[in-house]
Amino acid sequence: MAERPEDLNLPNAVITRIIKEALPDGVNISKEARSAISRAASVFVLYATSCANNFAMKGKRKTLNASDVLSAMEEMEFQRFVTPLKEALEAYRREQKGKKEASEQKKKDKDKKTDSEEQDKSRDEDNDEDEERLEEEEHNEEEEVDN
Amino acid sequence: MAAVVPGSGASREEEGTGGDAATPQPPAPTSAPGARLSRLPLARVKALVKADPDVTLAGQEAIFILARAAELFVETIAKDAYCCAQQGKRKTLQRRDLDNAIEAVDEFAFLEGTLD
Repeated sequence: MAERPEDLNLPNAVITRIIKEALPDGVNISKEARSAISRAASVFVLYATSCANNFAMKGKRKTLNASDVLSAMEEMEFQRFVTPLKEALEAYRREQKGKKEASEQKKKDKDKKTDSEEQDKSRDEDNDEDEERLEEEEHNEEEEVDN
Repeated sequence: MAAVVPGSGASREEEGTGGDAATPQPPAPTSAPGARLSRLPLARVKALVKADPDVTLAGQEAIFILARAAELFVETIAKDAYCCAQQGKRKTLQRRDLDNAIEAVDEFAFLEGTLD
């Protein structure tokens, strides 16, 4: 359906918002300039993908991973992106881990309503997850009420 | 006697003239400042990645970083183009400002000829 890869544009509203937040207040952008930036962003993704894919193939892998993309950034002379991207990646990984642990907790709680034996909630891995602690306290209260 | 005290007067002043009041913001997963992980929809970025015939598979993390990199790229090129507009004492970014930025900045060389 898409005639050219460049036609796969990113949503205009998001692009506009990113542009406006990058520029000082009161600065406007013409329609032509905005759509040109949007296309440039698509071309950027395509170019970065191609570079990243080269690194993946060098590593004899078929799946692009995060480090391939970071290497591509350096190759494309966008080294200044590497540090903020690494930070974003760490935040993303933490969020994914949090989501995974949250869904695992829910599964365990369903089992624990029948069996209140095991208490392997004392995980000392990450002390940054305050949300987990709050959930644990709530679940402890629930167990007491049930008993 | 239920008295509803509309105490929103002070909060309005605190919020100030933020431009985000009108636009609906997606719920942020973390409360850390500036932790909106990515604004670009990952599905669209994934579609772009898949458009490359040489690419077999791409991991979720790779897609996410590409989305974030694209955002950084948009910010960067917008700012560089704005420098050109400033020199012309204009407050509206025009297409030619973008073309000038692409010619002037080496890193944007890959864009030459692709935006027409």
